[in-house]
Amino acid sequence: MAEAPRLEDAVEFAENPEPRCPCVLLLDTSGSMQGAPIEALNRGLRTFKDDLMRDPVAPKRVEVAIVTFDNDVTVVQDFITADRFEAPILECQGMTHMAAGINTALDLIQARKERYNLSGVPYYRPWVFMITDGRPQGEMPDFVDLAAQRIQEEEATKRVVFFGVGVEGADIPILSEIVVRTPMRLRGLNFNELFVWLSRSMLAVSDSKIGDAVALQPPGWAAVD
Amino acid sequence: MISKGLRWLRGDHSANQRFPEGLAPWRVVGATVAGTSHQKLGQPCQDAAGWALGPDRCLIIAVADGAGSAKLGGEGAQLAVSTAVNYLAGRKSLGSGDSSKKDLVSALERAISALTSDAEKRDVELRDLATTLILVQATPNSVTALQVGDGSAIIGDLQSGVVGLTKPQVGEYINETSFITANDAMERVETVTHQGSVSGGAVFSDGLQMLALKMPEGTPHAPFFDPLLRFVGSAADAGAADDELRSFLASPRVISQTTDDLTLVLFALKDGHEDPQDPPVGNG
Repeated sequence: MAEAPRLEDAVEFAENPEPRCPCVLLLDTSGSMQGAPIEALNRGLRTFKDDLMRDPVAPKRVEVAIVTFDNDVTVVQDFITADRFEAPILECQGMTHMAAGINTALDLIQARKERYNLSGVPYYRPWVFMITDGRPQGEMPDFVDLAAQRIQEEEATKRVVFFGVGVEGADIPILSEIVVRTPMRLRGLNFNELFVWLSRSMLAVSDSKIGDAVALQPPGWAAVD
Repeated sequence: MISKGLRWLRGDHSANQRFPEGLAPWRVVGATVAGTSHQKLGQPCQDAAGWALGPDRCLIIAVADGAGSAKLGGEGAQLAVSTAVNYLAGRKSLGSGDSSKKDLVSALERAISALTSDAEKRDVELRDLATTLILVQATPNSVTALQVGDGSAIIGDLQSGVVGLTKPQVGEYINETSFITANDAMERVETVTHQGSVSGGAVFSDGLQMLALKMPEGTPHAPFFDPLLRFVGSAADAGAADDELRSFLASPRVISQTTDDLTLVLFALKDGHEDPQDPPVGNG
């Protein structure tokens, strides 16, 4: 995926040289998310924006991108600082092309880091936050394995922090084989609480110095097995 | 145990004293302000700084930045500073040649063992006390600095102006750095000696990096330091100077650049002459 240089970068980073804290929301929009789940997710995205805007520094530091996966993989929103982010209204259809989504999310991060480096803007370790209510569907097993392998490599080399969150119906054992970190299970459709937690966690990251571990508040929205 | 020579800067308290003869031929002005993010979360300031006069009237300065993610980072920073400064100030004499570097490394080793015993005593992990450490030893003819982690030490040289000594050790990500509590800390030690006519210098924690250094190169920004070095060189009253420096660090133009704790210790070599007095006012 060759990225054409964008003149807008010159303005974007000159105008806002704050260190960037990038986060990709990788969201399952397959048919099974239809109805209450997708509505709750859409509300959650608005909460995410609102909560980030309440902080004095987050609007200029946290960058959000949204990638959805169903029969297609769509970059609904390329990286944008929270102050300019508008929550989209997502719709659902089809299968769960999760592995393709994972690749797109990781490519997006790689491209973004290159832009940061070109512009001399410091940045924090990027996060991918994948939310699904199922398992990979409609993709070759080998392709899924490769995506899982890629997450492992990028986690091991600290290129990314990759979280998996399972909504009701998600195949948690399969998810555990794909992501390195223990997947979290959303209690009910508590997306609002999830996104408030995510927003606060991004702030904690952008405010503190870390050794290896990201010190996070335990998520109140997660179900305990 | 804290030797009586050690002057502390800790949290929001300034050392409130006249420039003591005890520090001659040096003047030191230092201040720390808690970062806005720490205030917001009700966390104490996790930076620590201290200084003392060492053997042969050399000046010893230490600045440490406790890790925000460590439970006891602030305590770790304080213990590292006091251990290192006490050791360096307590030596009988300065050796020659490379001995300053060796002494600073010994001081770091002592700080690490002090943290290790403290962690055992408190029954916590060593990484709970994670901190960075910068040590500086200055004589009129040379300055040696040691650093693990971020922050930086710079000096003013009469010939070459503002010169960077140590640079922040950062990884790919802005919030990644090295700590003296890490297993490989001794491999990450950077030591630098500068020979020349030293007029003064500065040691600071990473909160100031955005303003003070050209990043990512890590070279000092002379327009930032020139006025500060003139300020400490001409300051008359240590307490007032500390207050002034603290107000400067807490001013919107500085504090808006960071959410982290800010610590800055400035030093200057008095030239041995009295400051020129105002000309006497004649009667006609």
